[in-house]
Amino acid sequence: MAKNNLTIEFCGLEFNTPLVLLSGCVGFGDEYTRVEGFSNKDVGAVCLKGTTLDKRLGNPPHRIMETPAGMLNAIGLQNPGAHTVVEEILPTLDFSETRFIANVSGSTVEEYEEVTRLFDDSPIDAIEINISCPNVKEGGVAFGNNPDMSACVVEACRRATNKPLITKLSPNQTDITENARRCIEAGTNGLAVINTLMGMAIDIESRKPVIGNNQGGLSGPAIKPVALLKVHQVYQVAKAHDIPIIGQGGICTAEDAIEFLIAGATAIGVGTALFYDPTVCKKINTGLIDYLERHQLADLSDLVGTLTLHD
Amino acid sequence: MNSSYRNTIFVEDAEILQHTGYEGDQYLIRLRAPKTAEHAQPGNFVHLQCDDLLPMRRPMSLMRVKPKTGEIEILYKRHGHGTTLLSQRNVGETLSVMGPIGRPFKLENYHRYPLLIGGGVGLPPMVYLAEHMKNLRGEISPFVILGSEVPFPFPLKPSQIIIEGIPNGVIATMPLLEDWGVACRLASLQDYPGCFEGYVTDLARSWLETMEPHQRSEVEIFSCGPTPMLKAVKMLAEEYGLPCQVSLEEYMACAVGGCAGCVVRLETETGPKMKRVCVDGPIFEAKTVVFQ
Ligand SMILES: Cc1cc2nc3c(=O)[nH]c(=O)nc-3n(C[C@H](O)[C@H](O)[C@H](O)COP(=O)(O)O)c2cc1C
Ligand code: FES
Repeated sequence: MAKNNLTIEFCGLEFNTPLVLLSGCVGFGDEYTRVEGFSNKDVGAVCLKGTTLDKRLGNPPHRIMETPAGMLNAIGLQNPGAHTVVEEILPTLDFSETRFIANVSGSTVEEYEEVTRLFDDSPIDAIEINISCPNVKEGGVAFGNNPDMSACVVEACRRATNKPLITKLSPNQTDITENARRCIEAGTNGLAVINTLMGMAIDIESRKPVIGNNQGGLSGPAIKPVALLKVHQVYQVAKAHDIPIIGQGGICTAEDAIEFLIAGATAIGVGTALFYDPTVCKKINTGLIDYLERHQLADLSDLVGTLTLHD
Repeated sequence: MNSSYRNTIFVEDAEILQHTGYEGDQYLIRLRAPKTAEHAQPGNFVHLQCDDLLPMRRPMSLMRVKPKTGEIEILYKRHGHGTTLLSQRNVGETLSVMGPIGRPFKLENYHRYPLLIGGGVGLPPMVYLAEHMKNLRGEISPFVILGSEVPFPFPLKPSQIIIEGIPNGVIATMPLLEDWGVACRLASLQDYPGCFEGYVTDLARSWLETMEPHQRSEVEIFSCGPTPMLKAVKMLAEEYGLPCQVSLEEYMACAVGGCAGCVVRLETETGPKMKRVCVDGPIFEAKTVVFQ
């Protein structure tokens, strides 16, 4: 993509555009290149699927279900294990097109640290700590909903790498701002807000949950208002420390993206929207350029956190 | 770089050319989707935007593909919110089609007697495969068995093609297949005229039983349909020691391999695996599939 005013800086890295393809929606970075008209060049970064130390088969089917204006998923962190990702998958990725961010998960603090260390010794551009996965029995959201544990995981990962660390926060907790503050103190360089909300769907004939894991994470437009408020809240804590946010949750259009920028996000996550329109990123980019021109803004950073509240 | 699959799936705004309803909430939709039509192979599916009100697309098997006119045909059953909205779309409107998707049927070691078994909404891939096979030159003569518990979405026609091992009076076929000269019989428990009264696998067994052993060893089964039927087909194939490929369905989000939402459990020589129905399938070897 030609140099334009969509370029942003995120945790010291330059992104082509503010768009970040979200973990779990784009496999290990190359799957969507199957689609003609899709290009990794249209996004600033791509987050890879949640990775654990050992390979995981994930949850039994059904793993996904459409819900009003969204979907539930309970994949259960199916992944081939960190060694395979680093040794076999990363070498096949085209780092000239975009930046790649690992998404690290574990059942113990030690596992988070170990996986982060493996990615530290790799060409990956940044590491996202997933302490908000609602679909695994141990770790994940169990860490992310407790500020002490969250801080403990971030500190451990910090010990293991000097690459930019982004901590992905859960909306399924009482006070997301306290958690954000503790993660910043523990050394995170960025925040991702929000991961999915926990939900359920029931088959009324069998009277069983539709999802094999019984419950799943809700994503898509249905969660956008929740995500927007959480970004706004977290920004109040993060801005004092100059910690950037990847805003995410139901973003489908340039208008959605602009709302998140105004609320305080520096980068814009796109996940579920890809499933409906795999070429949505091009459209969001075009809409963003349009908006900048219409409002005579030099670049997107002029928008970040410009929300003025009613008295 | 792993680029062999780059740009193999197309996104097209496809005009609805025909949309016909049949008994049993079944619909045939014909769309203009030239890129999909040009590149599709038997076993492939498309991921369809049924309506702007829905957050997700729906995977649909291809039944007919006409590269010359750039058309594709899909047969679907209305059973949920998405297909209900789809059934209300009119000729002249456009739908976004993503396709073609999936690994096609493996046809390199062609067996001489392909047995195609389709049940209910599993009928389309069998019709697509049968059309492909009749276009091939050589000694391949497929036998197609279609089963349905709601009226078939076509008029039943008595077949002129004689097939050994078929009970007397079982003469009904699908007109399209008859026109192509492809042997076909229908099965149902609903007592439809000319149809075999029983399961598709029972009719298949009666055909297999009358074959000479050397002929039977050249049978390969291809199947698509509801899970209980596929289980029975898998058992039949195992009983006779025949190779068998099945086409599977699962809820899908991305349909490009990105979300791992559509997996099926396989037992392989190297242990259990979760494979994505969209891009690792939808065609799998029946012997590896663990049906839930
Ligand atoms: C199918 C699916 C799988 C996901 N897997 C992961 C994951 O492995 N790690 C993670 O941090 N987030 C995961 N997520 C959450 C997304 O990255 C994202 O935070 C969330 O879906 C909200 O954004 P969206 O509404 O744009 O999808 C997953 C989401 C979906 C829909
Ligand atoms: S539907 Fe996403 S991997 Fe198959």
